Amino acid sequence: MSADATPIGAGTGPDARFHAFDQLRALAMLTGVLFHAALAYSPLLHRLWPTADAQHSPWVDALVWLPHLVRMPLFFVVAGFFTAALIARRGMDGLLRNRVRRILVPFLVAWPLVHGSVSQLTGWAAQALDQPSPLLLMLREWMAQPDPPALPPSTGHLWFLYYLLLFSVMTWAGRTLGLGALLRRWRALGPHVVALTLPLLVLPGFLGTQAPHPAPESLLPQFWAIALYGPFFALGAALHGQADWLAPLRSRVWPAALLCLLLYAAFLWRLGVDAAPEPWATASWPVAVLESLVAAFGTLACLVAGVRWLDRPNAWMSYLARSAYWVYLTHLPILFALQYLLLDVALAWPWKFVLGVAATLALCVGSYELCVRRTRLAHWVG
Amino acid sequence: MKLDLNWPTIRLLVVKDWQLFQKQLAAYVLGGIVALGFLGLAKPWAFYIGSLLLIIVQVAVACFAISTSLLIERKEQTLAFVMSLPVSPLDFTIAKLAGNLLTFLVPFAVIGLATLLVILSTPLPDGLVVFALLLFGHILLAYCASLTVAMQVESEGWNTFVMIASMVLINPFIMLLGQIESIREVGRGEAIVWSGDAVLILSAQLLLGLALLAFTAWWNGRKPAFY
Amino acid sequence: MTLALELKGVSKHYPQFSLSDLSLTLPEGQIMGLVGVNGAGKSTLLRLLTGLAAADSGQIEVLGHRLPAAQVAVKRGVGFASEDMRLYRGQTLDWHIELVRRIYPEWDASYAASLMRRFDLRADQPIGGFSHGQRVKALLLLCLARRPKLLLLDEPTTGLDPVARAEVLESLAEVLRDERRSVLFSSHNTHDVEQLADSIAFIHRGRLLACADKERFLGDWRRILCMGEATPELSAWPELAQLRSAGRQIELKVRRWQDDIPARLTQAGLDVQRVDPMALEDIFVTTVRAGGAA
Repeated sequence: MSADATPIGAGTGPDARFHAFDQLRALAMLTGVLFHAALAYSPLLHRLWPTADAQHSPWVDALVWLPHLVRMPLFFVVAGFFTAALIARRGMDGLLRNRVRRILVPFLVAWPLVHGSVSQLTGWAAQALDQPSPLLLMLREWMAQPDPPALPPSTGHLWFLYYLLLFSVMTWAGRTLGLGALLRRWRALGPHVVALTLPLLVLPGFLGTQAPHPAPESLLPQFWAIALYGPFFALGAALHGQADWLAPLRSRVWPAALLCLLLYAAFLWRLGVDAAPEPWATASWPVAVLESLVAAFGTLACLVAGVRWLDRPNAWMSYLARSAYWVYLTHLPILFALQYLLLDVALAWPWKFVLGVAATLALCVGSYELCVRRTRLAHWVG
Repeated sequence: MKLDLNWPTIRLLVVKDWQLFQKQLAAYVLGGIVALGFLGLAKPWAFYIGSLLLIIVQVAVACFAISTSLLIERKEQTLAFVMSLPVSPLDFTIAKLAGNLLTFLVPFAVIGLATLLVILSTPLPDGLVVFALLLFGHILLAYCASLTVAMQVESEGWNTFVMIASMVLINPFIMLLGQIESIREVGRGEAIVWSGDAVLILSAQLLLGLALLAFTAWWNGRKPAFY
Repeated sequence: MTLALELKGVSKHYPQFSLSDLSLTLPEGQIMGLVGVNGAGKSTLLRLLTGLAAADSGQIEVLGHRLPAAQVAVKRGVGFASEDMRLYRGQTLDWHIELVRRIYPEWDASYAASLMRRFDLRADQPIGGFSHGQRVKALLLLCLARRPKLLLLDEPTTGLDPVARAEVLESLAEVLRDERRSVLFSSHNTHDVEQLADSIAFIHRGRLLACADKERFLGDWRRILCMGEATPELSAWPELAQLRSAGRQIELKVRRWQDDIPARLTQAGLDVQRVDPMALEDIFVTTVRAGGAA
């Protein structure tokens, strides 16, 4: 395998890897595949999700929003960490060059392909399926109009690349303006104080959008997304080169996990109480506070647990980490195609879920093995 | 004229100007992100704040790039240091033009594209694209005029006057566009129609801007020595 | 003899100032001090020699290249620092070193480091925080560490405190240990010139008044104190640059000293009391006042 085939933002060669962070990122991305697959069976998103199945279960809603609150914050912590590592190793020029190669180019190439294929698939599904989802039905009626208005372009599930680029540019601007000192001061407060201030910092982000928070898919930067993911990214950057900084939190992993579960239960309860009077209303204060607490403590707990238990080379996890970027880039059109086909299939939803996930992962990992791992593509998305 | 250019040193001078402007540019980039964030809120009040902030950022980049690389260098006598390096007046002119255009055109292109994107992806009438491009054409022309004057004229007063005057002229220019029916009407509809008037104005802006830059390059480059 | 620079009949006219018909040579390995008052034309001459300004007439060759056509090649081999040259206030000395190092492949990093220590400069400090002396030393460091074949310095010691001046002069003296390196430096401080230069040129109102070896300069001039009456014939002596009398005491400044001069003065009815060599400053002032060749 080429030395360049490292995951986004990682070092120059296998010996320069940060195992825990590599593996946490891979897990966060793969959780995304499970999450997107599960949304087809969520009662909460039944009217809004294109592949929503006729069958849905409250168990899905009870389970999916917890990882949803943690996985992308965790991903941005890891991204911030690798950004700082790249700057330390190759300087700001090296970071910007790496971001162009590993993020901008894949984004510009993948975006029209993903956007085009998902649009085509959805258009086909709206016309052809016997049991379309409510959203597909709406789309069918829309398409029947003589001059249907076009949907505004969006970054889709590749929004994370857009924000990685944005945060890289903001990192350059912040460092150039000498704002790194603020970050160091925050870190100097110690892990406990940082853990307690983190929910406060991300609260404006949760208050600025709906609950559960959507993907910031607009082509224009969203304040709420910057406010939500920015502090996590900054935390990751602050962690670089601070090997033992998280150590005092080791004993707090299980209490924090338990606290997160309790807070999450409260979040689910409040979500039911608030039951959106209008679909685009922003989160209420209690919900946003609960979301902030779960996201901050849950992310920190995963981070500490990851550093404790995943910081060693593991062949399987290493393969997973290397393929995760490709898998995440390609999974959505494949998953949607499979789930659209499954809409008309009479099968219990758990089987449909397992089938959808298994086939998607098999196709994505298979295509990685065949088309990416040993080819020049690994240089960009390997 | 034999073009015997010292490219490695020209490149270094461009990088030098970029480094000197970096801190200011970082602030403008953050300002640009905030402006785009306002546009992203998709509310009428935020749209006005966002577009105003974008124009401010654009004008600030244009004026301060020229100021940092030419006027301040002259005023603080760092120009003597640059001229003592192995460069000819033509090398120096090319480096200054390239450095300035780079610092200006990158944010200009980003902001321009973002504006077009906003017009095309929001309920705003798509015909506004014509209007927006003519406004960007004006900013480009004003920038070329300011850059030309900064390269030719040492007087700080004249330079400030040209920068402010050319940018402020955007107001009467907007009014002028409003008077031209073919442009005004297109701006209200969904179709992007390039009328003869619009094409004429945009090509005049681009050609005049290019002519100013070409004149500056020729005028400064033909000198056998700096003084 | 290889020449580091050569000017033949060079003129340059500005609205307020003209440099006229200037001819000058500097052999390789020599150090020449250019002495003149403010506005004498020293800076214009140095600008002509770096190709920054083009002469209206005449011919200039530096390091074997014709100017201003070959100004890029000349500036590669020349280290030029002038009093009105400033470094970027917001950037560190390191940043400047990096810029210059990438332009000049001959950059000598270890020499730069030793100069940094000798001049007591901090590489990571922005130039804006430097004193005037430190700024001059930083500029000199940037010139010296590129190991130029010819060093052109316009008023390098102006405004420096005695310690900084000594450091700068020592460094220049060190540069001159290399016999192939040449230096032309302008100054209105004749002590510096006297200390360093092999040859000296006097420039005044755009004209070269004198140019010769330092030893010849100093050897040619004498100050003679006599008692007696100054006669009109005495004033007409071509060797005499200046004659001043107070009562019966007469002070003579002689520009072409000959051993028989005291005897000739005695013959002219004067009582020679003492004969002293003259300091360069005195020679310069006398030359300027005499308004002619030294």
